[in-house]
Amino acid sequence: MSAIQQANVLGGRSLREAWRTPEALAPTLFIPVFFLIVNFGQAGKIFPSDSTGFLHGQTYAAFQLPISLLLAASFGSAALFLVEDIEGGYFDKLRAAPVSRSALVLGRLLAEFVKSASITTILVIVALPFGVSIASGPVGFVLLVLLTSLWAVVFSGFMQLIALKTRSAAATNSGGLVFFPLLFLTPNFVPRDMLTRPMEIAATLNPVTYVMEAMRWLVLQDLAWQPLARGFGVVAVLGVLMVALNVRVIRDYD
Amino acid sequence: MNEQQDRYHRSATADVGGTAERYGLSAGPTTVSGMELAVEAERLVKQYRSRTEIVDAVRGVDLRVGVGEVFGFLGPNGAGKSTTVRMLTTLLSITSGTARVAGVDVAADPDGARRLIGVALQEAGLDPRQTGRELLVLQARLFGSSVAHAQRRAEELLELVDLVEARDRRIKGYSGGMKRRLDLASALVHEPEVLFLDEPTTGLDPASRLTVWDELRRINARGTTIFLTTQYLEEADQLCDRLAIIDGGLIVREGTPQQLKAELRERRGLDTDPTLDEVFLDATGRTRERIAGEVQEVSA
Repeated sequence: MSAIQQANVLGGRSLREAWRTPEALAPTLFIPVFFLIVNFGQAGKIFPSDSTGFLHGQTYAAFQLPISLLLAASFGSAALFLVEDIEGGYFDKLRAAPVSRSALVLGRLLAEFVKSASITTILVIVALPFGVSIASGPVGFVLLVLLTSLWAVVFSGFMQLIALKTRSAAATNSGGLVFFPLLFLTPNFVPRDMLTRPMEIAATLNPVTYVMEAMRWLVLQDLAWQPLARGFGVVAVLGVLMVALNVRVIRDYD
Repeated sequence: MNEQQDRYHRSATADVGGTAERYGLSAGPTTVSGMELAVEAERLVKQYRSRTEIVDAVRGVDLRVGVGEVFGFLGPNGAGKSTTVRMLTTLLSITSGTARVAGVDVAADPDGARRLIGVALQEAGLDPRQTGRELLVLQARLFGSSVAHAQRRAEELLELVDLVEARDRRIKGYSGGMKRRLDLASALVHEPEVLFLDEPTTGLDPASRLTVWDELRRINARGTTIFLTTQYLEEADQLCDRLAIIDGGLIVREGTPQQLKAELRERRGLDTDPTLDEVFLDATGRTRERIAGEVQEVSA
């Protein structure tokens, strides 16, 4: 059995685990929807669709949708389930099997990708009544789901790294909070060129900005090479980095 | 003569335990090297390094376990039992020394070793969200079985450990004894040559403990070598062909239960054979008085 097949088998188990823990899955849907509704409710009138250029004729909910998608993709519970496996001894059972070390970490990341793709689709459907449409069409929708799911893999990889290093649920949970400053150091309420200079610099240095801008482009405008390349470039580089670090840590895991 | 008495008889009449006789080897310590070995460790060392100190958990353990033996590995808490097992089962890196399991060097070819060993550690390592059947199928798949073969094997094992009725229930609803038996079954999916069990009956009620003992006897009767750590000396006495006692990271006694008792009886000039408890206390430098002193009993 190849490492990919092993990762598939382990990924299937992780999906079963997620499906059987609806209490862990519910906030992943509820909180992003809550943010979408609240942000749209608070600023929808400030940015009317007919007179706000950066909305390209859509409602402010369309501008906010990428933030909700990124939030949902960063709520992955894979790392916390991994800590449970470590604490309960099941991780050792898996490590004692002739399974590729890479498959042990890739299985969960694969499951996060699939889970995120499903949640992204649901969130886009939930956003439709708020006047949101995917301007880039079906291909753009697929790219949006792909980009969000790849970000979920990046973020889960980061969380899994903390889980493997610390083997502590508390430390892993705290690690997840790192994302919040990164989410708010982005052009999350207005485009980057409308930010104050210090915020614009911070947003430009923040890789999450480029993922958010690529997602926003797919929602509000037609397909365009440059913003998409930047967004996918960021997730590709960070994804490779996270997978490489995860594999390194699992190989030295004692 | 029952099976246990027969085992003791064999042990008492062979100088390197029942093993030498079983393998048709001549008496004397040198014959051990001619025996077909399932587990072999030489000068096995494990050190943990922190910022301020180096802790020696295992300080040079030599072990030889023959194919088909039930080998007991005893020792007080923190003596190095679990650390040794974790090194032998590829779960922990080896600081120095060598270990071979079923003829495979665990450090040089860990995957090769993993294919030949089954492992059930101190805490029953199970996923509470899966059903018993799902867990066994997954485990079999990870050892390379096809879906159909994994399903067949899971059914066989569920029957072996008497969990057929509970197979489609989530593991979180299993009792402690059921979890232990499932853990044991999951260590057997690939029919391992050597089965490592780290305190397999800790926390079980007496009835569940006896059930696990029966399972182990059945598994051993099929030819599987069993390497067992336990804190229950009665368990070691009941199940093991040979024993080693580890204390402070070093092996301090090794032999058949009967040999160890006979040695202490002779050394102390006792009229009757001592119990394995007394052998253990003697080997680890502990006394009943000292142990009683360590745990103060409160009476009303």
